[in-house]
Amino acid sequence: MNDPTPQAPTTSTPAIACRGARKVFSGSVAVAGADVVVRTGEVHALVGENGAGKSTLLGMISGRLAADDGTVEVFGHRLQGGNPRESRDHGLVAVYQELTMVPGLTAEANVFLGQVRTRRGLLDARGMRRRYLELCDELDIHVPPTALARDLSVSQQQMLEIMRGIESNGRILVLDEPTAALAEHEREVLYRVLRTLTARGTTIVFVSHNLDEVLDLSDTITVLRDGQVVRSAARADWTRPTLIEHMVGRTVDKLAERGTHPAGAEVLSARSVRLPGVLHDIDVTVRAGEIVGLWGLVGSGRTTFLRSLAGAEPASSGDLRIHGEEVAWPRTVRRSIDRGVVLVPESRKEALVLGMDGTSNFWLGRRRGGPFLDRGAEREDAAETAGFFAFDRSRLGAPVRTLSGGNQQKVLLAKWAGHRPDVFLIDEPTRGIDIGAKAEVLTSLVRLAAEGAAVVVTSSELEEVLAIANRLLVFAHGSVVREIASDDPEFNVDAVVRHGFSTGDTDELVH
Amino acid sequence: MNSSTDLSPAAPAAAAAPAGRPAFAPAVSRFAMIGVLVALVVLATALYPGFLSPANLRDLLLQNTAVGIVALGMTFVIISGGFDLSVGATYALGATVSAGVALSTGSPVLGILAAVGAGVVCGIANGTLVARIGINPFVATLGSASVISGIAYLYSSSAPFIVADPNFKILARSSVASIPTPIVVLAVTFVVGGVALAMTRYGRNIYAVGGNHEAGWLSGLRVKDLTASVYVLTGVLAAFAGTIDASRLGVGQADVGANIALDAIAIVIVGGTSLRGGEGAVWRTAVGLLIFATLTNLFYSLNLSQNWQLLAKGAIVLVAVGLDSWSRNRRS
Repeated sequence: MNDPTPQAPTTSTPAIACRGARKVFSGSVAVAGADVVVRTGEVHALVGENGAGKSTLLGMISGRLAADDGTVEVFGHRLQGGNPRESRDHGLVAVYQELTMVPGLTAEANVFLGQVRTRRGLLDARGMRRRYLELCDELDIHVPPTALARDLSVSQQQMLEIMRGIESNGRILVLDEPTAALAEHEREVLYRVLRTLTARGTTIVFVSHNLDEVLDLSDTITVLRDGQVVRSAARADWTRPTLIEHMVGRTVDKLAERGTHPAGAEVLSARSVRLPGVLHDIDVTVRAGEIVGLWGLVGSGRTTFLRSLAGAEPASSGDLRIHGEEVAWPRTVRRSIDRGVVLVPESRKEALVLGMDGTSNFWLGRRRGGPFLDRGAEREDAAETAGFFAFDRSRLGAPVRTLSGGNQQKVLLAKWAGHRPDVFLIDEPTRGIDIGAKAEVLTSLVRLAAEGAAVVVTSSELEEVLAIANRLLVFAHGSVVREIASDDPEFNVDAVVRHGFSTGDTDELVH
Repeated sequence: MNSSTDLSPAAPAAAAAPAGRPAFAPAVSRFAMIGVLVALVVLATALYPGFLSPANLRDLLLQNTAVGIVALGMTFVIISGGFDLSVGATYALGATVSAGVALSTGSPVLGILAAVGAGVVCGIANGTLVARIGINPFVATLGSASVISGIAYLYSSSAPFIVADPNFKILARSSVASIPTPIVVLAVTFVVGGVALAMTRYGRNIYAVGGNHEAGWLSGLRVKDLTASVYVLTGVLAAFAGTIDASRLGVGQADVGANIALDAIAIVIVGGTSLRGGEGAVWRTAVGLLIFATLTNLFYSLNLSQNWQLLAKGAIVLVAVGLDSWSRNRRS
C-alpha cells in the first residue's frame, strides 16, 4: 500500500528524513518502521486515528524519543535521540499540546526563556523589547510584552511559543495538534502565522485531527495507521474521502463476533448528562446483555461521559435510573460501585497499582469480609475470574508492572468483573495491546454481555466497536451526533467516521 | 447485583503471553540491607568485643526504643506517599503532657492517656492539613511541628516537669519476664504494625494510596481518610514514645526530640522503604532500626564524638536515598 512518494529525487538535503524508524513501548509497537521525508520549506501534515503512532513519530523527529531501530535525520544530521536539545541545535523547534510557558513570567520573558540577550553581562532589556516587538510585527501578533503568561489565552501562549522558536533560529517548526485547544477565530490566527512562516522558508510539520485544516494548509500529507505509514503524498493527490479511507483502513480478519443473545430489561438510563464546557445533554440507555459502543475523536467527550456515569466527574450532572429506579447522580466512584456500576478506566497506568501483584490489584477496593486478608482464598478467586478473561493464572503473583499491556488489561477487567457488577463502563480496553490480546479482550466483553451484563465500551478503533456492539453512539464536540443500531445501514466505518468528523457547525444542525 | 453472572474460564488462549522481565535483580537488592546489618554486627563485634553481651544489647535497644516506635509510624506515612516532620515535636509534647498531667492529677495512667490523646489531636491536625486541605506533607508537618512545639513550651512554661512519683517510672523501668518493658513494647508494636501493614485490608489500601493514588480512588477507596489515618497513627506513636522516655528519665520537658524526625526517616529509608511511597515493609524498618542502633552503639563505645555521629548518619541517609533514586532511574 506504500505509494512511492511523488517528489522527484532531489539533491538538496530534506529537512527531516526518517528511515525505518521504529519505537516500542513496553512490548507494544507504537511506530513500526516509518519512512517519512519532509522537504525543506514544505508544510507536512501527519494524520491518523488515535493511537496510529503520530505523536510517537513526532517525538522521534523532535529528538524527545530515541528510535529503537532505523534512523531520523534533521538536515542530514542523524539524531541519537532521547535529547530534545539535539534536534533543537539543528534548528528544529517543537510545540507540544502541553505548552511550556512559565506562568509567572511576562510574555517577553517567556519568549527569551533560555536565550536572553545580554550586554556587558547584564540583561539587554531594551534590545529584547525591540526584538519582541519586531517578532510581533513580523507575524502580526498582538500580545503585550508585559502581560503575564498565566493571564494569556492558550492561543496567545502558543504564539509566544512559536516566537520563542523563531528567536532560537528555528528552521523547522513541529506542532502536535496545534488547533485542538483553540476556538475557531483563534485557529485563523494560527493559520495566518503558519502561512507567514512558510513564506519565510520555515519548514512545518504538524499533527492534526482536523481534516479541513490538513487539506487547507499542507503541501504533503502522510497518513499513519497502526504505527505504519500507509501513504505519503502531495496534497493534490488527496481528497477528504481518500484521507479517511486511508486513516481507517480495512481490517481483513474479524477480531470478534457480536453476541446473538437477546437483550433483557433496561439496566441503566441516563438523561441530560452535562459537564459544563465538555458534555452537552447526552442521553444513553443500556439493557442487560447489550453492548453499547461509544465512538468519537479525541476530545469528543466519550471518556469524560463514561467517567461521569461512574461518579469520577463530581462536577457533572444528569438524571440517572438504575433498573428503572431513579437514583441520585453519582459524585464518587465508591457510590457507583455500590450500585453495581463500575468504570474500567482507560489508562492502565492510572487504574492499576503497578508495583502490586495481580491478586492484590484484583482485590483492591473490595469491602466484603473481615479486616484480615486471606491470601489463599484471594488467589483462588482472582485466578477464577482472571481465567474468564483468558489470563494466565500463574502470573497473578507477579507485579503488574512486569506484565504486557494485554495482560494488564485482562487484570483490570478481571478486577472489575470481580465486583459482579450489572453495568460495565469500559474505556479503551484495547489501546496499545497486541492483536491476539485484542481478540481475547473483545471476545470476553461479548461473553460478559451474554452472561447478562450491560456493557458500555469506547474505543478509538472503530472496527472493533462495530464488530461487537449492538448499538453505537457517535460523539463529536461533547454531544452525541448519531445513534446507530447494528442493523442500520449506517452501521459501517464510512458513515460513522463521516458523523464523527462533523464540524461544530453541522453539529448544531444535527441537534 | 447480578449474582447470576457466571464467570467461567474463557476458551484456551491462542498463544502464551510473552514473558515479563525477570524479577531476579529486585530479589537480590530486596535483602541487601540484611547483609549490611550482618556485616555491621560482625564489624562491631570485632572492634568492640562486648557488643553482643546481653547488657550491651539491652542498652542498645533501650536507647533506641523511642525512635524505633516513631519510625514504625513513619513507615506507614512514607508507604502512603507522605512524610511527617512533626513527630519530634509530638514526641516532646507527649513527654511534657504525660509528666505534667501525672504531676497535676497524681495519676501516671491519666498522664499516659492524656499524652496519647494529645498525639491523636496532632495527628488529626496533620491529616486534615495534608489530606483535606491538600498542603504538601513536607510543608504541612514542618509548620505543625512548630505549632506543636510551641504548645509544649507554653504548657510547661519552658520548664521541665520533674515527677517524683515512682509509679510514673513503671512504664520504662519495669520488666516483663526479665525483659525491660520498653523493649517488649517496641517488639509488640512492631509485630502489630507489621501484621496490620502486610496482612490486613487496611495495610493493602495504604500501599495502594502510596503506589497509585488515582487507582485507589478509582477503585472506590476513601483515599483522604486513609491518608489522614497514617498521620493519626504517627501522632499517637510519637506521643507514646515521648511518654516512654519521660517515664525512663522521670522528667518531661519540651526541648527534647530535635533529632527524632530525621532519625526516624533515616531508619525507614535505610531499611529500604522507598520515599516515593507504595513500597516498603515494617520488617525493613526493623532492620533499619538495628543498623542505626548498632552504628550509634559502635560510635559510642569507640568514644567518637556526637559530631561524627551526626555526620555519619546524614551520609548514610543520603547514600540510601541515592541508591533508591539511582536504581529507579535505571529501571525507567
